[in-house]
Amino acid sequence: MTVASQTSPTGPVAAPSVRQPTAQWAQGPLVPLVSVGVALVLGAVFVLISGNDPIAAYSALVKGAFGSPYDITETLINAIPLTLAGLSVAVAFRTGLFNIGAQGQLLVGAVAAGAVGARFADLPGVLLLPMTLLAGILGGAAYGAIAGWLKATRGVNEVITTIMQNYTIVFVMHWLLQNGPMTAPNAFGTPASAPIGAGAVLPIIVPDTLVPLSRLHAGLVLAILAVVVFWFLLWRTALGYELRAVGLGPRAAAQAGIEPKRRMVVVMAIAGGFAGLAGMIQVSGVFHRVYDGFSAGFGFDAIAVALLGKNSPIGIALAGLLFGAFARGGAIMQSNANISSHLVEIVEAIVLFVIAAETLIRAIAKRRGTPAEAL
Amino acid sequence: MTIEMLLGAGVLAATLRLATPILFAALGGVITERSGVTNIALEGCMLVGAFFGVFVADKTGSLGVAIAAGVLAGIVLAALHAVAAVTFRADQIVTGMALNILALGLTSYLDYEAYATTGTPSTIPLVPDFVVPGLSQVPFVSDVIGRQNTLVWAAIIATVVLQLYLFRTIPGLRLRAVGEHPRAADTVGVNVYTTRYLAVLASGALAALGGVYLSLGAVGSFSDNMTGGRGFIGLAAMIFGRWTPIGALVASLIFGYGDALSVSLQGVTIGDLRVPVQLLSTIPYVLTILAVAGFVGRSRMPAADGQPYESEGH
Amino acid sequence: MREDQQHMKRLLAFALVGTFVFAACGGGAGSPSPSPAASSAAAASPTATPKPVKIGLVTDVGGLNDKSFNSLANQGRLDAEKDFKVTTSVTESKKQEDYVPNLTNYAQQSYDLVIAVGFLMTNATWKVAKQFPNVKFAIIDGAPADDAGNTQNLPNVANLFFKEQEAGYLVGVIAATMAKNKVGKATHNTLCAMGGIPIPPVDRYIAGYQDAIKTIDPSATILNGYSNDFVDQAKGKEVGLNHISKGCDILFQVAGASGLGYIAAAKEKGVYAIGVDADQADVAPGTIITSALKRVNKAVYDTIGAVQKGTYKAGDNFFSAANDGVGYGKLDAAVPADAKAAADQALADIKSGKITPKDQLQVK
Repeated sequence: MTVASQTSPTGPVAAPSVRQPTAQWAQGPLVPLVSVGVALVLGAVFVLISGNDPIAAYSALVKGAFGSPYDITETLINAIPLTLAGLSVAVAFRTGLFNIGAQGQLLVGAVAAGAVGARFADLPGVLLLPMTLLAGILGGAAYGAIAGWLKATRGVNEVITTIMQNYTIVFVMHWLLQNGPMTAPNAFGTPASAPIGAGAVLPIIVPDTLVPLSRLHAGLVLAILAVVVFWFLLWRTALGYELRAVGLGPRAAAQAGIEPKRRMVVVMAIAGGFAGLAGMIQVSGVFHRVYDGFSAGFGFDAIAVALLGKNSPIGIALAGLLFGAFARGGAIMQSNANISSHLVEIVEAIVLFVIAAETLIRAIAKRRGTPAEAL
Repeated sequence: MTIEMLLGAGVLAATLRLATPILFAALGGVITERSGVTNIALEGCMLVGAFFGVFVADKTGSLGVAIAAGVLAGIVLAALHAVAAVTFRADQIVTGMALNILALGLTSYLDYEAYATTGTPSTIPLVPDFVVPGLSQVPFVSDVIGRQNTLVWAAIIATVVLQLYLFRTIPGLRLRAVGEHPRAADTVGVNVYTTRYLAVLASGALAALGGVYLSLGAVGSFSDNMTGGRGFIGLAAMIFGRWTPIGALVASLIFGYGDALSVSLQGVTIGDLRVPVQLLSTIPYVLTILAVAGFVGRSRMPAADGQPYESEGH
Repeated sequence: MREDQQHMKRLLAFALVGTFVFAACGGGAGSPSPSPAASSAAAASPTATPKPVKIGLVTDVGGLNDKSFNSLANQGRLDAEKDFKVTTSVTESKKQEDYVPNLTNYAQQSYDLVIAVGFLMTNATWKVAKQFPNVKFAIIDGAPADDAGNTQNLPNVANLFFKEQEAGYLVGVIAATMAKNKVGKATHNTLCAMGGIPIPPVDRYIAGYQDAIKTIDPSATILNGYSNDFVDQAKGKEVGLNHISKGCDILFQVAGASGLGYIAAAKEKGVYAIGVDADQADVAPGTIITSALKRVNKAVYDTIGAVQKGTYKAGDNFFSAANDGVGYGKLDAAVPADAKAAADQALADIKSGKITPKDQLQVK
């Protein structure tokens, strides 16, 4: 079944397509192999045109992302917020809502977590960390719920609300952190908040003796927990059953007896909660304060993460890892292989495009007379 | 706060300027979604239009060729989307996102290679203003619309033409049929694939014109990511306007007005309190949400929007 | 459910296959990246060639095309590469999360000098430099700051500071002299500035500009605005048009790429503008009367040279009018001789300490 039908802004949802017999090779590793191959060749063409060595480029990309334990921890640090924001987008998709606002919800969660973590800095960790965590989740959830509530009560399309919310929080943060109420009196002249208390900091989970300099923090554990919660919520609770029923079509939802207005608010709040958790983790795990304009782009990449992961928990985690690897490997590709960071973006775009157009590979198989899987 | 800051000719003229690029993107969104294809790559189409407009203007010195090149760049990017979305039934959101990243990477790369040290040259030809004849003596009105960039007018004309095309012509009816009931349209002999291809290409062209307006109309140079998310705002304006060109125009104007206020109100005080300049910048976004919540409410998208179509003959 | 599992398998296969293919490609090629081992081997070789000095530059999120200090810093790197025969590399930070790993990457490879561009990296530089005491660092527009936000100088970090207010003062002198005498298009005795966002490195420029105007032309009207952005040209242009409608005929931009829109407004309406950071005379000849120069390229170039010559100095290094670190740019033909004379006098007075331009805004 197509994901696009679930993702349409106002969510008319197609009935699941009938599965057809699938060619053996199309299910095995051959399609991914061919897809990645096509993406690599196309990317290499760009690198070649730019006068660089594609093999050196790809080598640096992979080494940068997975070349050493330290590199792997850096890849994971990127994958954490991407996965969480991906869950945020996916939970909405699952019910036929398009949450473009994970970015904004992430930032609100970060601001809320940063405010609580700094305001009660003297509290012990056993109190402060849960408070900070809760603040982040609730902050994101509240921001998400606004979009759900406006849709439920006023019929405002959530795409409009969430796009506008993304911008609004950016400028509110400019104010809060540049010369407003959250601005630290002593923040190196950088627009930033006061530091959070030591109790609100997520500890480093890889000892320095094992991986020197590692910054990998306990946010990884929270992210894994969130993936489990996502699965449990959708497949092991009555609410999750309702939500997925809605995702399968309005008629199925009606039969399941769901009150759609309440559902919209709840779903967007849950979506915002996942994104808010991502923001809290960036504050408590990476920065230990709120910086103006931080975490740029995670919430947007998350849309691709959710869709590549087909809105499934493991899929999202793997897609988050893939994007995390690109973020880390891309920087190393520039520094160590002298490839423009913009070429890195181009290669990333091609990989994304080709994976999305997986049917392209299938279609080629089809034309050669093999019955390929119908999507 | 004065009336001049809220409704002065300067504010209204700024509203038109700021609405124009968003309107172009929104019109592109209307035509493609009316045919049943979501094109989230409008942002990317704007960006390539902005860059290649400037680049070709610099290389050829010809404004006409430059505009054509910018539009063509938008069409090429949209064509990639069409191939993936229409022919290969790929996930339209993902390919759209991929194309946005591609456009940002490509234009930034070329901008660095071509203009890193020099910047875009100051001598490139710009889209001229259009002076409305006979208006110069009319107070106020002449200050608002008497002298606007030609592309501002082009956007308004495109709105009217597209509105008439979609709702008053047979081909427009067919395009909408493809977006609502592709199977039925197919049955009566409308080619769903061709219609969708053309609609996606048109959306790329329109969005690219928005980019050309920014680079060759408004400022006369290119800088990285200069569209700054206006393609996404255009998408919101399209929904706000209920997938109609006229509605998109109204939505773009409301957003543009908020944006104009965020500039004109700088320095305003409420009592003794000076309104923080950063919060003024939230006006267009908050105003848009309020306007939709207060006046527009529920809107219905084309029934087959975003759904790939597979003809039964295949 | 089954479908999900299918997809998951496929995605897993993707990840595995992708990694395998990537690794295979990578393994097949000789590593192009200079490893620490390789460079130390080169140093140990008996040939007379000195150990190649390696320089790494990390931009902030503005990127290399920011038409501001990142692009100037990169210019300094490229100039130094040519003149000093050093090996250089650059990494653009895509988000603030990237500062620490990007700086660490160069330090791990034993680069001789790692340059952090921009005050956003004060804490990241402190974190990384502390871990690599044998690697030299430099940070532009800031000093290493600990987690609490307090400046903590390190023996391996050079802090490269600029007195932007001096550059702002110099162009302010030129602008005010022209406004006072109603030279050319400057007929309204109204002078304006637009910053990107209200932060110290931006406001210092504008503070110096305002200080000069208040000194030379006290009756002048001064306006100040912000685009709230360093990227959006269209927004910058609107602020410019708004200022011009209020009578401004000299516009000073301190807003990176967004400021190009501010200049475009001046060009369209036929008034004057002042460039910033780099010499922007070529952006709009006839419109740009001069530019407030902040020679980040010189600071980077000099610091690289100092590392090579062994004269690198940790701690505060000031780039000011006194050592040509800041100044004013090419003058347009519209600038009369008395304005130039006044600017040169002000420059001499700043150098001698007779004038200390203010670094706090008087008109917000």
